[in-house]
Amino acid sequence: MNVLTGDSERDRPGRPAAWELDPPPTAAPEEERSRLLEYVVLRATGVLLAVLVLGHFAVTHLVTDVAHDNSAFVARRLSSGLWIAWDSTMLGAALVHGVTGLRIATADYLLDTRARRIAEVSILALGAVLLVIGSLAIGRAAVA
Amino acid sequence: MSAVQIAFAAGLAGVLVALLASTALVVHKGLAGGSLDRLGIRRATENSGARRVAFYVHRLTGVGVFAFLCLHILDVGLFTLSHRLYDQVQELYGTAELRVFECLLLLAVLFHAGNGLRLLLFDLGLLDSAASKSALGVVAAATGAAGIAGSVFILAPVFK
Repeated sequence: MNVLTGDSERDRPGRPAAWELDPPPTAAPEEERSRLLEYVVLRATGVLLAVLVLGHFAVTHLVTDVAHDNSAFVARRLSSGLWIAWDSTMLGAALVHGVTGLRIATADYLLDTRARRIAEVSILALGAVLLVIGSLAIGRAAVA
Repeated sequence: MSAVQIAFAAGLAGVLVALLASTALVVHKGLAGGSLDRLGIRRATENSGARRVAFYVHRLTGVGVFAFLCLHILDVGLFTLSHRLYDQVQELYGTAELRVFECLLLLAVLFHAGNGLRLLLFDLGLLDSAASKSALGVVAAATGAAGIAGSVFILAPVFK
């Protein structure tokens, strides 16, 4: 398998691809459900972020040049309910999406259950700390 | 440079190191082969050719954008402590170096969003395998076009 050209062993008839050799592990029903929930959360926040993040980028780079995004600009922008709602939703969705995506991605490389558990808890803790820091900043700007 | 600006620069270097390390890991593991889709929802036909590369690029742009998000929440968090510290870091965002980074960030976000929407449409059954393949071309073209257009805006002040 060449990742750059995309040449796959599957393309050669009669030879199974590498990922076909090992049957996927069968998951317990409750694990299936949590995977489905995780999948729906990842996609739903993803659609939301496609709008919120690109809108955020447009406002902070195209509408106003990034050189003028100082604390006065933040205080002015965050005096509007629309932007408080926008930034709060974006913060929450981005962290949920990032934590979920990173959890799925790291699990692909950590075969040991304990190592996977440690990674999961660390990623979740990082997300929780960032949520607090981000919320405090939005709250501070909203009341300023 | 002030202390908080040096800390931000170190954080940004950390973001780039995290991205490089993830790229090395993902490419290394990818070359070794293995199951790509733990969810088992996507059909195996999604795991070949350009779409296989798109899978890796999606994963790596995700890691890169998340790494920057961590730094960005910390620098915006300075607003809670002091407007002066916030403004010191904010000044860096206007430098030529950071503007180049912002262009790369825009490209990463555009591809990740476009490709993510393509995968959603495929999983909802709105795109068949062939349409999903062409849609990847559309995503790549739109990423390039919008990325270049956005970069012109972002970089323009450097040349003034």
